[in-house]
Amino acid sequence: MKRKDFLRAVSGALAALAVSALPAFAADLEGKLVIVTSYPPDTTVTVKKAFEAAHPGVEVEMLKKKTTAGIKFLQETATNNKADMFWASAPDAFEVLKGDGLLAKYDVKVQGIPEKVGAFPINDPDGYYKGFAASGYGIMWNTRYLKAKKLPVPKTWAELADPVYFGHVGMSAPSRSGTTHLTVETILQGMGWEKGWALMKAMSGNFKTVTERSFGVPDGVNSGQFGLGIVIDFFGLSSQASGFPVDFLYPPITTLVPANIAIVKNAPHPKAAAAFIEFLLSPEGQAVLLDPKIRRLPVNPATYAKAPAGFPNPFKDPSLGSAVKFDLDLSKSRYNVVNSLFDVMVTYRLDDLQNAVKAIHDAKAKAQGKSNADADKLIAEAEALVAKMPITEAEAGKKEFNAIFKKKRKKADTKVTGRQAEVEQQWDEEVKANYAKAKELAEKAASML
Amino acid sequence: MALKQTSGVTVTVENVSLSFGKTEVLKGVNLEIKPGELFTFLGPSGSGKSTLLRSIAGFGPRPGGRILIDGDDIAGLAPWDRNVGMVFQSYALWPHMTVRKNVAFGLEERKVPAREIAERVEAALDLVGLAAYGDRRPSQLSGGQQQRVALARTIVVEPRVLLLDEPLSNLDANLRVQMRREIHDLQRKLNLTTIFVTHDQEEANTISDRMAVLDQGVIQQTGTPLNLYDNPANRFVASFLGTANLLEGRIEAGDGGLWFIADAGPRLRLTPDAGAAGDRTAAMMRPQNLTITDADGALGQDVAVLEGTVEMLEFLGTIVRYAVRVGGASMLVDETHRVGRAVHAVGDSVRLGVEAADIRLLSA
Amino acid sequence: MTTVSRSLWGPGAVALSLALFLIVFLVIPVAKVIYVAFQDPNTGALTLINFVDFFNTSLFQESFFNSFYVASMSVVLASVFALPLAYFTTRFNFGGSILIQTLGVIPLIMPPFVGAVAMVLLFGQNGSINLLLDEYFGFTIPFMEGLNGVIFVESVHYFPFILINLSAALNNIDRSMEEAAQNLGASRGRLFRRIVFPLAMPGYVAGASLVFLKVFDDLGTPLLLNINNMLAPQAYLRISSIGINDPMGYVISVILVMFSLLALWTSFLALRGKDYATVQKGGGGLMKRDLAGWEKAGCYAVVILILLLVLSPHIALTLLSFGTVWSFSPLPDAYTAQHYVDVVSTSSTYITNTLLYAGLAAGIDVVFGTAIAYVVWRTGLPGRKLLDYMAMGAVAIPGVVLGIGYLRTFYQFDVPFIDKPLASWWVIIVIALAIRRLPYALRACVAALQQVSVMLEEAAENLGATKSRTVRRIVVPLMMGGIVAGFVTSFATAAVELSATIMLVSQESDAPLAYGIYEFMQSASGRGPGAALGIIAVLIIGIATYLSHRVINKKETERAPQQAAAPEEKVQGA
Repeated sequence: MKRKDFLRAVSGALAALAVSALPAFAADLEGKLVIVTSYPPDTTVTVKKAFEAAHPGVEVEMLKKKTTAGIKFLQETATNNKADMFWASAPDAFEVLKGDGLLAKYDVKVQGIPEKVGAFPINDPDGYYKGFAASGYGIMWNTRYLKAKKLPVPKTWAELADPVYFGHVGMSAPSRSGTTHLTVETILQGMGWEKGWALMKAMSGNFKTVTERSFGVPDGVNSGQFGLGIVIDFFGLSSQASGFPVDFLYPPITTLVPANIAIVKNAPHPKAAAAFIEFLLSPEGQAVLLDPKIRRLPVNPATYAKAPAGFPNPFKDPSLGSAVKFDLDLSKSRYNVVNSLFDVMVTYRLDDLQNAVKAIHDAKAKAQGKSNADADKLIAEAEALVAKMPITEAEAGKKEFNAIFKKKRKKADTKVTGRQAEVEQQWDEEVKANYAKAKELAEKAASML
Repeated sequence: MALKQTSGVTVTVENVSLSFGKTEVLKGVNLEIKPGELFTFLGPSGSGKSTLLRSIAGFGPRPGGRILIDGDDIAGLAPWDRNVGMVFQSYALWPHMTVRKNVAFGLEERKVPAREIAERVEAALDLVGLAAYGDRRPSQLSGGQQQRVALARTIVVEPRVLLLDEPLSNLDANLRVQMRREIHDLQRKLNLTTIFVTHDQEEANTISDRMAVLDQGVIQQTGTPLNLYDNPANRFVASFLGTANLLEGRIEAGDGGLWFIADAGPRLRLTPDAGAAGDRTAAMMRPQNLTITDADGALGQDVAVLEGTVEMLEFLGTIVRYAVRVGGASMLVDETHRVGRAVHAVGDSVRLGVEAADIRLLSA
Repeated sequence: MTTVSRSLWGPGAVALSLALFLIVFLVIPVAKVIYVAFQDPNTGALTLINFVDFFNTSLFQESFFNSFYVASMSVVLASVFALPLAYFTTRFNFGGSILIQTLGVIPLIMPPFVGAVAMVLLFGQNGSINLLLDEYFGFTIPFMEGLNGVIFVESVHYFPFILINLSAALNNIDRSMEEAAQNLGASRGRLFRRIVFPLAMPGYVAGASLVFLKVFDDLGTPLLLNINNMLAPQAYLRISSIGINDPMGYVISVILVMFSLLALWTSFLALRGKDYATVQKGGGGLMKRDLAGWEKAGCYAVVILILLLVLSPHIALTLLSFGTVWSFSPLPDAYTAQHYVDVVSTSSTYITNTLLYAGLAAGIDVVFGTAIAYVVWRTGLPGRKLLDYMAMGAVAIPGVVLGIGYLRTFYQFDVPFIDKPLASWWVIIVIALAIRRLPYALRACVAALQQVSVMLEEAAENLGATKSRTVRRIVVPLMMGGIVAGFVTSFATAAVELSATIMLVSQESDAPLAYGIYEFMQSASGRGPGAALGIIAVLIIGIATYLSHRVINKKETERAPQQAAAPEEKVQGA
């Protein structure tokens, strides 16, 4: 019922638009528009329909690529570019393209979009890409699953590290999913490097799996393969809207990050591309984002008036996304190191990590209500071993160190010492040994109780 | 010699019939093959001879009727429980095994101790003259050698009965004669009840103790090669075994004896006990039993004389074969060729002589 | 000497153009990608240091072991599925043989990632089976945990390779070969082990080596099941990740290629000298046996069990396509046909594109496959083996590597009159599919050719047919069963290919089915329509497969009476 009302509102808006705004643009636009996007058809088809209704004569072609593949595609095809726009969530992806000089600047004409959403600037300060919607990160869960396994609903990230959730949580890897990278970086920035990683790893010990795609997480929660997932909001909201028995919440440490769109340099259809941005940011375009299949937070505060009851509003709710002041430069400076660390410590060593965390859980359960200082000390040591980081925050942010992981040597004479494989192997040895030792200590502690 | 002489078994086929869909391939076949006998199924393509052989081996659908070996009904047994050895027309040597492995196969299936297998395989290969070829692959052997391997593979298991399905058809003429003798010798040596399938009557005549002529799923006649040749039971056997002049007609009495009046014209004197006057029948004469002379030549007493014209002649080396038009019939006559003697030319008028004793009347 | 070289002139020209095609569309693009593996990441100089790193890294050692283990176990499990189906349907008079053969091929025509989704729904830790087991018996079976899941999904998906090749080989065994063994006392089990299986070995090894290679190289399945500790996923993760210019991904690609080539070489050595042209002069056709009632029941039970198992992804997908919401429950909550309505109205171009691409690619494959098979096995051309290795090498190239290679190589090259880079013209998708599936068709063609006796060719040449006429009138018709099998395999698997195409689709209107399904599967509300599209794909390709099986069978029964009319009444009524 809610959905119906909403659809009517959208189509009404579209009809009005078709009558009023249409003749003004249509005349001098190119007949075609090619958009490289990471969004699912639910989003792209809906927006495409709305845009084509507003601008008859322009045929929009959506080229679906995973964010990482999209970047690769634009890089590989830059010499003979046929794409007009890049449209995806993760701002970092746009940063990469901007850094490679593959984007064109554009000044938005539409009014009414504020500077910031939460603590995050909506648009690229350099003017290369624009935020059109906001996304936050949180926890989604399968209500049937939680009920069947008698699990409580977690309210914070820290709760996900509780022993009850062992084997019930799913997440993607930051190296695989730009949005997941933001989640990890948010936690690291919100809690600090050491504490953040400690929590991250304690949570990861409860993981059932680390999915290859970011959509693998909502997919797993939806089908009940695991009960809880760490996801970007619209995955949770749109899954719920599709009828799955799932729910979503934002934990206190989260950040709202704009999802973006940009015009590709040397775009074959620049006018149509400009019209697309203008449309997306217009009140009509913003309203489309509320479609149950899309469920993204509009960046125009006025649009929330049309939202269904209970829809999160970052412009009204101060708790939403403003707790962490997300530092994009910091994130950028250690992007690859964080990805690599996560893969080495979690993705590829999940079994070892699970074993260690499980042993700690068991020991703690045994220690419950008993006072055995030696055992407690061993458990604490084990936890510290699991949390132990192979490198410090300062080191992770160092430019020279990051260069080892860098995509391309900018100049032929750039000198880099060390190789990624070498570094990762060192980390891996250390981490593996730590996990094994932690498991041993925890088991020892358990045997003392 | 590891291969033993057997006492031989009796194979009895009782009222065996078989159909593929609506086609009746065997129609109530009855046979008895004696111990140690080499028995041939002779017939044209599609006569059912191979099907009958395969039924004895247990291949194909189970036929109606009974097949007995020494009195035991084997019709219900699986092929591998029958212990009848079969040599296939294509030899069916397994290309992934050496000659020795091929020959050893049946013994291995019979769980014979390895030492004994080795001895018997060597003996069998020796018997067929291939002792030096044990390590070859079948594809490295000539056709005759493959044939010998197939034979060795079959007899090495000492089957109760040996079945040979057109075993010589893939060999060239000289080799065929040689292999025919080898098979015959081997069979005699082992005293093995053997059934031989062929469509070649010369092969059948030379090798068989007795044979059965099949046509259209029915045994037309059974007997020794000589007996079948001289006393064919019907028109089919008469013409399938060698060449025959067949004249349709009836028997009449008169002039102090019995006469055969051919529908096509010729009149032939018969022996007094040849048949009953008034019967319709066919008269069969072998070409070599007729004599031929010039139109004014003399023929012996008691010889029926037919006047005719030479239509065709074939020089076959030892004989000259003429086709002579006599009234409405064309008669084949063979004349032994003598060096330097002139032959009758096409178009010549000739006389044919037929002795009453050389005429066989066929009831069917 | 001159006459020999003259007779090689025609095949030589053919071989040369084939080689050129393979060099342009396989060797160069792959070399462009692989080159990175030999570059020092810091200086750009040529080096082997990356390989040293590979062998020093415990993760890669573990991945290598896992890949090897999974590939081997998948071959074992796939054989367990394939052997009974192939044997029963080719050796016994068995109602529904064609249907069983067709159903047995169907697992191939589902994109592996879709299969994995479906298998998780049924066999996952919280899938239907385990939910029911847990509820009624209080235990669960870890079908899909860790490497088990990969082995299970892969063997279900790839076992048809063994089924197809083995069935073709079994069909070609001369009946007298088996009868001779029975006559000498070998009963069923031993007959199979000692005669039938060895003779069918070339077909089995061809199928099994394909399974091994495909599993070894497959990344879709482990990725979807979130197994990272295997070689192909490691390569993919490292090549396709943002911001990581890690040569390790390329190093792993090189190692995958090397190892696959090694496996091919081993299977080649194992089969060398086993030229089983078993259809013999005077021999009969295939032996099919009637089964007793209880045997039939037993066989059907086995067949049905296997079919249920290997078709479980399709069963789950069907449920998913008709289900409204399917979450943490043995079956969907309710059923609807809406997903089909949605898909049919919006996604028909996916279907037509797929039929076009896969049909063209499979056509190219069987033509090239037959030509290469002939050049390699029946001519004395120098360097002919190289052609075989090159074509078979494609099996070892991960789809992503080929995709990236094509983008690198052909984006600069504009197609005349089209005014588009070759890399974004739809034809490049066809070429990529053809290259990727060529090994399948080639193996099938080689297996078929090996069973055509050279004598039959010589007979034709003796009667005045030129080389090319002989190939056309004698060799190709006799190979037809294998060629059609190759076409079907190539077509069906090309129709569900994703890994290379996902890199090469440059506009939605050029996208094939697998791409469409993949897109749908990337959103919560898209699972139903995605599943519906998957079912439609399976139906279309399944019908095409069934029809071609019918054609083969009809051809063969047409040929049978002629054999029967030959010298003896050898062939019994069918």
